[in-house]
Amino acid sequence: MALDKDRVATIKKHIAAGRHREAFAALNESITPWCAFPEQARAARLFASIATTDLGLRPIRIALLASSTVDQLVDALKFWLAAEGFEAKFWIAPYATIAPSILNDQSALYEFDPQIVWLFETFRDIRIDIAPGDIAGARKVIEAAVSVRQSLWSRLQQNLKCTIIQNNADVPAGDGMGNFAAQALWSQRSILRQYNLDLAHAAPSGVVIFDFDHLSSLNGKRTWFDPRYWYHSKSAVEFSEIGQLAFQAARVIGALKGTAKKCLVLDLDNTLWGGVIGDEGIEGIELGAGAAGEAFVDFQRWLKALQRRGIILAVCSKNDADNAKKPFQKHPDMQLNLDDIAVFSANWNNKAENIREISKTLNLGLESLVFVDDNPAERDLVRKLVPEVAVPELPEDPAEYRMAIEKHLYFETTGFSDEDRNRTHLYQGNASRAGLQAQFKSEAEYLKSLGMIGHIGGLDSFHLPRMTQLVNKSNQFNLTTKRYSEGDLKNFDEKHDMRVLHFSLLDRFGANGLISVVVAVIRPDKTLFIDLWVMSCRVLARTMEEFICNKLIDTAKEAGCTALVGEYIPSAKNGIVARLYDRLGFELVDEENRRTTWRLSIEAVPTYLTTFVAQQEADDAPGRGADSHTV
Amino acid sequence: MTPRGGELILTRSDALQRLNTVFRDLFEDDGIEVHDKMTAEDVDGWDSVTHITLVLTTEREFGVKFSAAEVGALKNVGEMIDLILARSKK
Repeated sequence: MALDKDRVATIKKHIAAGRHREAFAALNESITPWCAFPEQARAARLFASIATTDLGLRPIRIALLASSTVDQLVDALKFWLAAEGFEAKFWIAPYATIAPSILNDQSALYEFDPQIVWLFETFRDIRIDIAPGDIAGARKVIEAAVSVRQSLWSRLQQNLKCTIIQNNADVPAGDGMGNFAAQALWSQRSILRQYNLDLAHAAPSGVVIFDFDHLSSLNGKRTWFDPRYWYHSKSAVEFSEIGQLAFQAARVIGALKGTAKKCLVLDLDNTLWGGVIGDEGIEGIELGAGAAGEAFVDFQRWLKALQRRGIILAVCSKNDADNAKKPFQKHPDMQLNLDDIAVFSANWNNKAENIREISKTLNLGLESLVFVDDNPAERDLVRKLVPEVAVPELPEDPAEYRMAIEKHLYFETTGFSDEDRNRTHLYQGNASRAGLQAQFKSEAEYLKSLGMIGHIGGLDSFHLPRMTQLVNKSNQFNLTTKRYSEGDLKNFDEKHDMRVLHFSLLDRFGANGLISVVVAVIRPDKTLFIDLWVMSCRVLARTMEEFICNKLIDTAKEAGCTALVGEYIPSAKNGIVARLYDRLGFELVDEENRRTTWRLSIEAVPTYLTTFVAQQEADDAPGRGADSHTV
Repeated sequence: MTPRGGELILTRSDALQRLNTVFRDLFEDDGIEVHDKMTAEDVDGWDSVTHITLVLTTEREFGVKFSAAEVGALKNVGEMIDLILARSKK
C-alpha cells in the first residue's frame, strides 16, 4: 500500500462525507513509517483534516524541548501517535532553550503540565573542546555532560509528574580521525559512545533514554547526517528518516502507556521450521542443518529472547497436536521447548477461532496479540476475521522473518521487572487452572482446591514499577481508567489522607504476582473513596475482588471511615466491571451518563464478603517488611 | 510523460506542469496555477516550514538535488524551474 492519488482521493471523499473513522482507517492502511518524507507530510496533512472526536483516541500532553527545528517531526508525530491510539497536544519550547525552559519555574512548560517531556538533543549538544590526547579532559567532558542532564531531570521531576524522554547522542559518521577514532578515548566518537553508556547508567526511574544513536544507524549514518537542512534551517535529521523517527517515538510512548503488544502467536510448519511435520516427520523438517535450517534456528533464538524478557508465546497451527509437539520434544536443534509456550493450539479449526480462544485462555485482549504465519491465506483470514490482531507480512525467505517482524516495533518496553521474567509461567499456570476447573462439580469446590493466599501491601520502591505498569496497562478490570505515573503514585502515598495499596495472590500452581492496585482517598465526610481500582484479568472470578473489598473495609475502619464509596466510569473496554460494586453489595447512589457512584456502609462489626482467598500470615515472608505488612 | 534524464530533454512547459501538480497536492488546492512570478505571498500555506516540504517533494518529482544555499535562495516558481532545468540537463 502507498499513499497514491487514488488512496488520497478515497480518504478525502470519506472526510468530505463526514466518515472520519473510515478516513483514518484508510490513511492507516496507506502509509508505513518507511514511506518517504513527502508521503509522511501528506499523511500528516490529511490527518490534520480528520475530526478526531470519534476515533476513540486517548489524550496526551507532550512537551518537546529541542536544540534543532522540529516542525516537520511534530506533524508526523501527531499522526503516528494517533495510529498508536493517542491524541497528542504539544508544547514546543522556543528553539534551543532546553535548559532555560526547565530552570525557569515560571516557564510556560510548567503551565502546560505535560505528561511527557521529551528532551530532543543531538550530538551537537555535547560540547567537546579538548586537545588531542587529553584523556582526562575527555572524562571531564563526559561527566559534566551527564551531570547537566541529571540536574535538568531532577528539576523536571520536582516540578512535574511526568515521564522524561531523553535523546542520547547520535554519534556522527565522521570526525576527521578515521578508524583510529574508535581507539582514541579522547576522540569525539569515543566520548559520545561513553556518554551514551553513562547517560543510560545515570537515568533514574521516570527517565527513558531514546536511542537516537541506534536510529541514526538503521539506514546508515551517511543518510541520517545529510547536512543540507542543518545548514538551511537547523534540522538535525535527514527528512527521509522522519517517518521512522516519529514511529519509534510513538511506540515508546505507547509502551509507557500500555499499548505495546504482549503476545506472539506462531504458526509452526514453515514458520518455526521448514517443511510440514505431518508429511516429512521429525527427520525431514529443515531445522539446524543447511542455510534455511540455520535461519529457522536463529529465528527461534530471537523468539526465545523475546520470551525471556516477558513476551508471551503461543502456538496456533493446523496440525495433529501429537505431531506438532514432536519437534519441541525430540528435535535436537529446536531452540523453543514446550515450557516456553503459554498456550499450544494445534487442531484443524479455523485459525481466527483458535486465536480468539487463545486470547480468552490467556485473558489478553485481541489487540495485544501479533500473529505470525508464512501462509498468506491464513494471514488474510485472520486480518479479516480478527482485525484487532496485528498480522505482519512475512517474506518467503526465513532469513528475513526476524527483520520483517522487528521493524514494526510491536514489543517496545521501558522497563524489566520480575513479572516480565516469569510471565510465561504465570500464564501457563492459568491454563492449568482452567484444566482443573473442568474436573470439579461446583465452583466453590474448585476455588477451595486452589488454596489461594492473598496478600496486601503498600507502596515501596520494590513494587512501584509493577504497580505503575498495572495502572497503565489494565483496560478491562479498571473501574475509573485513571492513569498515574510512578511520580503520581509516590506523591499520593505521601499524603496522609490517601492510601496506595497493592495486592498479590498465591495458589497451588504458583505465584500470580502483583495483580491489583487500589488508590483510595479518605474524604472529610468520613468515607473512603476508591479513586482507582485495577486488577489483572488473569485472576478474575477467583473471589479476589471480595478479598480486596474486605481489606478496603478494614482500611476504611482504621481510618475512622463509616462507608466505602466507589465509582464506575465507563470506557470502551471496562464493561466487565460495570456491575462490580453491585455484586459486592454496594448501593447505587448516583448515575449520570452511565457513570455510576456506589456506597457501602460499614457497621461497627463489619459484614465481610465471602472469599476463598485466605489472608497471608504476617510472618510468612520474613525480611520483606513492606511486602507483607497488613493494613 | 517525459522520462527523467535519458534521451528526452525536460521542457519548460513540462516542468511547469509537473510542478503544478506538486503544488496542488502539497497545498491541497486544485485551483492553483503556478507561473514564473509566483511567490510564497501568492500561495496559502507556503511558509518556511512548508517550503522545505515543497523543495523535498520537488527534488523527488524531478530526481534532482538542490544545495543548502539554493534551498534558501529559491524565491519564486520561475527560479525553481530554472534550477530544475539546469540540474536535469546533466
